Amino acid sequence: MAAPTTEGSDRETGETLLTLHRSGRLAAEYPRVRGLLAGCSEAELRRAGNLLSRLRPEDVRQAHPGVPVVSVAVTGHGTLAPLVPALTAELARHGLLLRPHLADYDSYVFDLSDPGSTLRRFDADVVLCVLDPAVVLDELPVPWTPEDVERAWDEKLGLLTGLVTRYRSTGRGTLVLNTVPLPALLPAQLLEHRSRARLGAVWRQANSRLLELAQSHPGLVVLDLDPLVAEGIAVTDERLSQYAKVHLAPPLLARYAREVGHLARHLAGRTKKALLLDLDGTLWNGTLGEDGFDVLQGDHSEPFRFLQRVVRQLGSQGVLLGVVSKNDVEPVRAVLREHPRMVLREEDLVTVVANWRPKHENIAELAGTLNLGTDSFVFMDDTPAECGLVEAELPGVTVLRAGAEPAHHVATLLRDGWFDTLVLTTEDRARVEKYQQEVERRDFLQQSASVEEYLRLLGVRVRLSPVAPSEVARVSQLSLRTNQFNMTLSRLQPADVARLVAGPATSVLVVHAADRFGDNGLVGAVFLRRAADVVHIDGFLLSCRVFSRGIEQACLGAILRHARAAGATAVVGEHRRGPKNGAVRDLYPRHGFRQVTDDGTTTVFRHDLDSEDPLPVPAHLQFTDQCGGDTP
Amino acid sequence: MTSIDDFIAIIRDEIGIPVEADDAGRHFDQLPGWDSVFLLQLLTALERETGRRISLPDVLDCPDLKSVYALATAS
Repeated sequence: MAAPTTEGSDRETGETLLTLHRSGRLAAEYPRVRGLLAGCSEAELRRAGNLLSRLRPEDVRQAHPGVPVVSVAVTGHGTLAPLVPALTAELARHGLLLRPHLADYDSYVFDLSDPGSTLRRFDADVVLCVLDPAVVLDELPVPWTPEDVERAWDEKLGLLTGLVTRYRSTGRGTLVLNTVPLPALLPAQLLEHRSRARLGAVWRQANSRLLELAQSHPGLVVLDLDPLVAEGIAVTDERLSQYAKVHLAPPLLARYAREVGHLARHLAGRTKKALLLDLDGTLWNGTLGEDGFDVLQGDHSEPFRFLQRVVRQLGSQGVLLGVVSKNDVEPVRAVLREHPRMVLREEDLVTVVANWRPKHENIAELAGTLNLGTDSFVFMDDTPAECGLVEAELPGVTVLRAGAEPAHHVATLLRDGWFDTLVLTTEDRARVEKYQQEVERRDFLQQSASVEEYLRLLGVRVRLSPVAPSEVARVSQLSLRTNQFNMTLSRLQPADVARLVAGPATSVLVVHAADRFGDNGLVGAVFLRRAADVVHIDGFLLSCRVFSRGIEQACLGAILRHARAAGATAVVGEHRRGPKNGAVRDLYPRHGFRQVTDDGTTTVFRHDLDSEDPLPVPAHLQFTDQCGGDTP
Repeated sequence: MTSIDDFIAIIRDEIGIPVEADDAGRHFDQLPGWDSVFLLQLLTALERETGRRISLPDVLDCPDLKSVYALATAS
């Protein structure tokens, strides 16, 4: 199947969107929008943002209740209305629906500090406080000196630090600040080079202090605009700034919106987990089948070695790496092990797939082995036909088209922050090894006579305990990443988890697992709440790596025993229907709960604790219960 | 852009506001769903379309679409 060219698909995208807009069917056809926006130009994206931002989010939601909604509140100093269409388009690119709130002009101080402000009552998932040069420039006297700029920044930084602290103590949602690039018209007003240097130093110190706020306030994001401006985007549009108080130029606002789109995708649990790469023409120059060990030679190989370094860099931070190539497997393995110029090695990869089958079949099979959805994969290939086929057969996979110029491969890979995350945990750094163990476990299962024998020989050890402070970030991350075994689709940020830990009637338990192949680490979490004499399981998460080993039964059994010992009369659990958690819909009834209600999206189950030990630990498991009196 | 109909088409397709040619003379206050920020988007779209600079404060002073059209087509 031939893939459409970029130019052709751009035209097609624009026309289709426009046709849908003209016929009033954009809301009805919203799930198509993600595909239509993939790979379209900045100009098309700008127009698409205008058209999409005219839709009422509630109309889209009504037509498609399954579309994930991310609510974003926008506040700041200048006119920020142009940011809303850009955000609408960027979220739509990731299959998300924006529910926006635009605060009144220059109201950020009140918005963030007063718990009763309209913005705070909006209860956003993400709060953008957009800082622009005028935040400081509006405070300067005429004439001014670098010392005046320093004083103005000092005041603003003091104010912002206070706002962040106040917002974080009571507000939900991720607060986003940004650094403020130095506009060229400012240093140009100083005639003396020494003064200009002083101004530059003062300005950079202020931005450094902004960035350091993110180190001392977990849950605060400070977007650094300097690297975005360095791509060649103007900071200000003087007409818009002076006449309409749009103090950051619309192209920079659009670029900022793209970063927010990556953050929203992460917060909605849609971060990609695995990167699969083609070999010939993508990871090395030359064709292995013809050139043998002569691939990756000469000056032409430098862009490919750069890409390999970047891919390894991603892998070291928890992205699962694999290669999928149409080649014989032995020569591929030989190059990965022995080629002197290779940067990426076999041990960096969770899988090496080299055969002559269609790539989409290999990817689907790999998804099964790793127990991931195909929408967790990013696939990069330089052959348009391969890209088109994977796109057509596996629409969930994000396909990156490595173009004709290899020097741009790294930019193509990094452009959309597919793997961005709020925090990295120790689990991330050891992830590759864990998934390599998973592949070994699969082989072991295939060699076992029965599932029972497999489980017995696997030697699973499970520990259930109250969450430790150092594990809060990992629990948050697990809730953001887990789509399959996520009973109530919990999406908790670290502050939300901390709140549950501190609450008088709530508690958070964590599940650690290990087996003969190694330590799985922290693989599950349970959120409990006591109300009168009933214990509610508000959330239950388990990593897809450890399904079907009886771990869930052991944990539920412990929860029932603790509830009974604490004098509760029942335990109530819920299943909230999501696109991928259908397999755990019968978790509670399979373990002795009975269904109480079902409103079409949420099913409620209840266990009446009518026997001494209603749910024993499975015989093949070694279970350690460290909860003591810590369950409600 | 050679007619008021072209101008209306730009507003409908670029800005996404369902206006008709009859709306051109209505004050912005009476135009359902209108927001002053659309004038900034419209200015950008018109400058791209006509290849000419149009005065931003003049556009912001316009009471209705007809006067924006007049600014954009003034020789």
